[in-house]
Amino acid sequence: MSLRSLVKFWNEFFFAEQSPVPVALFRILYGILVIATLGLLHSDWLDWYGVDGWLSLPTALKLEPGHRLNLFTILPQSNAWVEALFWVALVSAVLLMLGLFTRINSILVFIFLTSLHQRNLYITHGGDTFLRLAGFFLIFAPAGAALSLDSLIRIRRGIESPGIQARSPWAQRMIQLQLSLLYLVTFLSKIKGAPWLQGTALFYVYHLDEFRRFPLPAWFFRPAVLKLGSWSALALEFSLGVLIWVKEFRYVLLALGLLFHLWLEYSLNIPLFQWDILTAYILFIDGDDLLDSMSGVRRHVFGRASGFPL
Amino acid sequence: MTMQRAAHKQEATLTRDEFALWYRADATSEPKGSFAEKAKRSVIHLFIASHLVAIAFWCVPLDSPLIPLCRDLVRPYFLWAGLFQSWDMFAPIPKGANTDIEAMLRYGDGSQKTWIFPRVEQMSLKEKLFKERYRKFADNLQRDELDELLPDAARRIARLNSSPGHPVRTVILVRRISFIVPRANGIYIAEPWDSHILLGYGVRPEDLK
Repeated sequence: MSLRSLVKFWNEFFFAEQSPVPVALFRILYGILVIATLGLLHSDWLDWYGVDGWLSLPTALKLEPGHRLNLFTILPQSNAWVEALFWVALVSAVLLMLGLFTRINSILVFIFLTSLHQRNLYITHGGDTFLRLAGFFLIFAPAGAALSLDSLIRIRRGIESPGIQARSPWAQRMIQLQLSLLYLVTFLSKIKGAPWLQGTALFYVYHLDEFRRFPLPAWFFRPAVLKLGSWSALALEFSLGVLIWVKEFRYVLLALGLLFHLWLEYSLNIPLFQWDILTAYILFIDGDDLLDSMSGVRRHVFGRASGFPL
Repeated sequence: MTMQRAAHKQEATLTRDEFALWYRADATSEPKGSFAEKAKRSVIHLFIASHLVAIAFWCVPLDSPLIPLCRDLVRPYFLWAGLFQSWDMFAPIPKGANTDIEAMLRYGDGSQKTWIFPRVEQMSLKEKLFKERYRKFADNLQRDELDELLPDAARRIARLNSSPGHPVRTVILVRRISFIVPRANGIYIAEPWDSHILLGYGVRPEDLK
């Protein structure tokens, strides 16, 4: 490969304009997930982030030192402000989902999520981390260019034509790369451990009481099945990390990844984790394919195409 | 099909075709616009390249002396911007034991009580959705490197279990553990529970305010 072809590949990959529909749909689902995350936290909000909660702000700052983007450190130390932060974050996530003042709200949602994580990092799981990272790159994406109130307003005012305006996908690519890196790093971390290579890892995972959700069939616990499961997880994580970029494999791998995460959703109690990850699969679907399936769904549900500008 | 829909569909199709033509002709070229546009594109190139390299060095678990150097270099920015990350769920070795936390409480009048930290496995399906964070927090409370979490937790438990006339005076946090042992035939038999003390904390009056 010559340097010239490398530069060409780079430019095409990050800057060849494409439909913003996948990233717009991702924005909607992302907003829903942030709302759901906040909703699930609400009953214990002050227990986790309040002044008299499980973790005081001075301890949090001592354990995680350094300058950090954390609204809790600049707000007055009172539960009223902590409560207020919840409601502002919720409103911002709703507006992001709707696509109103999209850019501003994507920035606000990222700042809120980062602040929550910085305030109490010890209750977050990988899904939360992925939401935070995807939120960072979403700030730079044309997330309000379609399926948004912003776009509707621009069309009504005659600033924009009703058709889809192609956009540079570099920020979307960064979220895609972040997702594939997530799988690849998980794979690389796992192959360092003997239980994954020996195929006994799932024996431990599925005997941890804290993760149990729905009952599992007895055959699943047979050593051969657990071994096959451990190795299949490794193979799939490697594939979703590397082979997902090969166009011919992409949709097959996305389907397998979907089944994999649905199985984990059924069998392990880590609320929203699987959905946080699965949402980003949308970004790997071709814009035209996504439009066709959305039109199909609309026809099926409403019997006709709606007038909403895509 | 309404006129409006037909027109919309035609417009969308034409736009797509135009994109395809434009794609082949111009997609890989640099912007031909103003200096400002070129400068903006250059900044984006730099942003993408630096973030890709930094994120890869931050989280790829390879043993190379270069990796800690790069991590140290980007650490201030990653910590500030919230780009820090680790992807090691159940890796490299899954947790090999069931654990939980209890608190032995001694009150001012000499009475005692055992308080059990919320256990997700004993919750209903709905509760599990809302209270899963307790699982993660309990796991972190047991990590040696996070010992500093324990006094805050002890104070919180004291507050939860005190009343003005009946204050908690001592909190002893106890970790209970039952190892998961794989057997040749694949059968799981729960091992007996062991206990050990994580922290003994003398509650001060100001802790209860």
